[in-house]
Amino acid sequence: MKKELEQLRDDFLGALESAGDSLGLEELRVEYLGRKGKLANVMKKLPDLAEDMRKEAGQFGNEIKKVLETAFLEAQHTVNQFEERTRRDAEWIDITMPGIAPLMGSLHLVTQAIDEISTILHQLGFVRSRTPEVDWDWYAFESLNMPKDHAARDEWETFFIQDPKADKVLEGKKGKVVLTPHTSNSQVRELEKGQLPIRMFNINKCYRRQSDVSHVPMFHQFEGLLIDKNVTITELKGVFDFFVKNFFGAERKVRLRPHHFRFTEPSFELDISCDICGGSGKLESGACRLCKEGWLELGGAGMVHPNVIKAGGLDPEVYSGFAFGWGVERTLMMRSGMNIADMRIIYRNDLRFLKQF
Amino acid sequence: MNILVSYNWIKEYLKTNLSPEEFAKEMSAKSMSVETIDRLRDRFANMVVGVVKELKAHPGADKLRLAEVDIGREVVEIVCGGKNLAIGMRVLVALPGAQVRWHGEGELITLEKATIRGVESFGMICAPSEVGFDKAYCPEGGIWDLSELTEAKPGTDFVGALDMDDVIFDMEVTSNRPDAMCIVGLAREAAAATGDNFEFDLPLLPEASGDKKLEVNVKDSDLCPRYMAVVIDGVRVGPSPAWLQKKLLLAGHRPINNIVDITNYILHEYGQPLHTFDYTKLTDQEINIRRAKDGEKFLALDEKEYELTSDNLVIADSTRPVAVAGVMGGQDSGTWDGTTTIVFEAATFDPVSVRRTSRALNLYSDSQLLFEKGLSSQSPAIALAKAIELTLELAGGQVASRIFDEQKEDYKPLIFDVRPDKIRQRIGVEISDEEIERILTTLGFTLDKVEDHYRATVPFWRDHDIEDEVDFSEEVARMYGYDNLPSVLPSSPPPITMEEPSVFWEHWFKNKLSSAGYTEFYSYSFVSARDLEKYDLDPAEAVSLFNPLSSDLTHMRTSLMPSLLSSIELNQREVSQDQVFELSRIYLRQENDLPDERLNLTISHFGINDIEQALLKLKGVLEMIADQTGFDLSFERVEDNIKWHPTRSAKILADGQEIGMLGQVAEAYTKAFGIDRPVAAVEIDLEKLIPRLKLTRHYQPIPEYPAIVRDIAVGVEEKTAFFEIAETIKEQSPMIESVMMVEVYRGPGLAHDVKSLTLSITLRAPNRTLSSEDADEVMNRVRDTLKEKFQAVLR
Repeated sequence: MKKELEQLRDDFLGALESAGDSLGLEELRVEYLGRKGKLANVMKKLPDLAEDMRKEAGQFGNEIKKVLETAFLEAQHTVNQFEERTRRDAEWIDITMPGIAPLMGSLHLVTQAIDEISTILHQLGFVRSRTPEVDWDWYAFESLNMPKDHAARDEWETFFIQDPKADKVLEGKKGKVVLTPHTSNSQVRELEKGQLPIRMFNINKCYRRQSDVSHVPMFHQFEGLLIDKNVTITELKGVFDFFVKNFFGAERKVRLRPHHFRFTEPSFELDISCDICGGSGKLESGACRLCKEGWLELGGAGMVHPNVIKAGGLDPEVYSGFAFGWGVERTLMMRSGMNIADMRIIYRNDLRFLKQF
Repeated sequence: MNILVSYNWIKEYLKTNLSPEEFAKEMSAKSMSVETIDRLRDRFANMVVGVVKELKAHPGADKLRLAEVDIGREVVEIVCGGKNLAIGMRVLVALPGAQVRWHGEGELITLEKATIRGVESFGMICAPSEVGFDKAYCPEGGIWDLSELTEAKPGTDFVGALDMDDVIFDMEVTSNRPDAMCIVGLAREAAAATGDNFEFDLPLLPEASGDKKLEVNVKDSDLCPRYMAVVIDGVRVGPSPAWLQKKLLLAGHRPINNIVDITNYILHEYGQPLHTFDYTKLTDQEINIRRAKDGEKFLALDEKEYELTSDNLVIADSTRPVAVAGVMGGQDSGTWDGTTTIVFEAATFDPVSVRRTSRALNLYSDSQLLFEKGLSSQSPAIALAKAIELTLELAGGQVASRIFDEQKEDYKPLIFDVRPDKIRQRIGVEISDEEIERILTTLGFTLDKVEDHYRATVPFWRDHDIEDEVDFSEEVARMYGYDNLPSVLPSSPPPITMEEPSVFWEHWFKNKLSSAGYTEFYSYSFVSARDLEKYDLDPAEAVSLFNPLSSDLTHMRTSLMPSLLSSIELNQREVSQDQVFELSRIYLRQENDLPDERLNLTISHFGINDIEQALLKLKGVLEMIADQTGFDLSFERVEDNIKWHPTRSAKILADGQEIGMLGQVAEAYTKAFGIDRPVAAVEIDLEKLIPRLKLTRHYQPIPEYPAIVRDIAVGVEEKTAFFEIAETIKEQSPMIESVMMVEVYRGPGLAHDVKSLTLSITLRAPNRTLSSEDADEVMNRVRDTLKEKFQAVLR
């Protein structure tokens, strides 16, 4: 019987060598190690042996069984590893193939800018208004402390609306009708509501009679207005700082520079430090071309002129405030360092342009 | 408006030790901003004065010559094409390393030794435009002849030779401050900004008399508040001295002759324009300041003829205009080489009239730029005094008339009450009375303290921009320095205000639609009349522009559809199909009021041949919106709206009210816009929809028991509506939870007017798990009913 077992062992080990794949192995396992396999068949003869032989044969049988099982597990492990490698190899994917784009729409650049600006101003409690784009001269000019003969009220700067019944500019209860050349018409409209204090912003389409590579006849501005008692320039500076750091980045510096607007006094231009030259105005190759001595003009601001507050029906001795505003397209391009050679492409609806954003 | 400012010139009036950089920083922060700093020593590095010793022909080029130029340490050979090059001429030699602009165009380049047509050239003999002096005299195709400007030895550095060791600031002056558009004005500002001393004595008019006849009549004093004139006889017109020419060049003016140069010099120094006439060219020696006659012709200095109207103020002699007041002089009445007797004009004109005349004639000048900003009636006297002084000094002659001075009214300076407390309150920091006084006094204001405030007298040069007490807070704030102010967030609580619903929903719709794969169009609010007509909209009903910029942009759109169709046409060559939307306002005319600005929405698929798919996708978008905003969406087939395909369109209803259309744009209109493929679109008047929208969420409990799903293929006649079939199926059992469309099949195996719908039917009971038998029983009923009601063929 011992011989028989040894023969069986040698047969099995030999067969394992040539078993091939995991299927072959499984067949071998059943043939030799299965409940009705060859090993079991030999061991079945155990009870027939003499008692003294039986114990020794039993022990030997168990040893052989262990040897077979260990050999089998090793072989199985080797085959599994091989098969796993083969499978993985067959599953190879070319990861250099181009990605498949998801079906995405896109928001227009201006809409994206409006969303970002709104998010920042909302944090300071400013609420976006809805203001007409076609408005009375009163809101666009007169109430903003702009005298009748101010250049902005000339026909070569501002679009006027045609009277449908006569060859003249349409006029009504609050003067001529214009396409708003700025968003400041929201100021007196908001003041007139009489709900104080005011923290309002208006982002709207504006219109000016200009069209060339750097100007579009329709563009966007945004306008912030804060009215309360005892408002000071220091708070305007605070709001401007907050906006710039959120929109352009915490490392940017701001500067208020004296300027002139009819509806604010004092008036400033708001500058931010240039990020190309780091605010130095100089590059290794020479002067920075993007900025003026390290600063970029962002927009205008100022303390609301008492005449505007008066026009809105409030007492400028009691109420004061500030307003600030600038061009949306320009702001966006300044931040992205985008250089659009011809601004007019922004409103041409060329999908090859729109889908880039 | 911008001005080139020589720092040396400023220092004639401002006693300062500040570096140019410090000066620029202070001015930008407190006064007028410095946009660029041009250091002449840097600009003219490696440029020297050379003297031409010899000229030889270039062996390889007819138009070039070889100049032997003495540059001090050696004589070098330079290839040059300058036509006026002559032996003995002093020239500007740019040596290797210098920065020049070839032929005055393009970028600055750094010069290197070069071989030009086979001959090595050691540097370059420059034309003025090549080193940034576009306005220096130079014959066409010539180089800069420095002989008259310097006697420096060969090899002297250019800046030293021309005494131009200076720094030029390009400064922006705000439109309300023409008084600062000059050296004296800026020096005064600088004194307030830096604390340094400003020293300036107003020149005084001399006693004047003479026998040269002149008649000055101001016929319209509203448009000409002051007119001064004087005759100077025996002048010699010729080139200005070098110092004057150099100052003008650095200021960006073109030296012409001593008389014209004097007017430009004073313009730049005092900010007051002057004009000169040749006395003998004034017919009858008359100066009439009057409105032009309609149709009157005027030949200007720019050699163009202008047709005038009575809106234009002119200076005229007895027969014709000799200048458009404040804008430009006439071609044949000004000072020329042969002039010996001149008339100086120093005046103020109505700024609005000057501006409108200039724009109407499209005629611009340095004078007009200042006049239209508003100048004080007190400036002409000072400018005229200086002009007389300089003329006698530089051109000789003598005053030959009295000084004519026609002034509309006696000058009364403006006076305001100024409360220092108000100033401090507006700025937000404690600034002492002393500091306020220092700032205002340096700027030229005279202050008298009266109890708790000042009586402040405005200096004449500020009489156009100071209008109110509040203006003083700006003067103090800017000179105190905005940089010195703290930055604080508003400390009062924000107001409780709700945003307009439309503001919220505009944002919501745009985000949903872009998430759903639509690209946002953003078009001009104005379109052409033609665009409206192409979509059968009446331009006469639209809000139109009185003064459009072009015929493409004349009418405010009354629908977003023309913009949509134009944009699709624009894209169709490059993009075969796409899905887009635009959410924007349209403008509807209203009697006696502003137009109604209504938010509208268009969503569109273009270029998809399977229009059914496109329309169903659009419908799906609407269903998604309705689902999320809680309104009841329904559709009603429309067959008689000419803008839409008669069998492929429907009204969109929200809670039963019509809000827009869904369908295929009628072919006539896609064709009208030149679109060669079908367009499916949705057009919605959002103003009708917005009041119905809400963001309430609804919760459906997750079913406890599993569903059984059975598919069924139903062959029916083409025009059988899915809706009818689905409703019929649902009626068969309360267990039918939903009937979904899987696929529509038409084609082989079916009659031509038959379609096969594959439907997926979900069955479920709320209280138990359904058995297969339950489902079989329901499905049998469904089959029988479909066969009976729709003559359906089931597979």
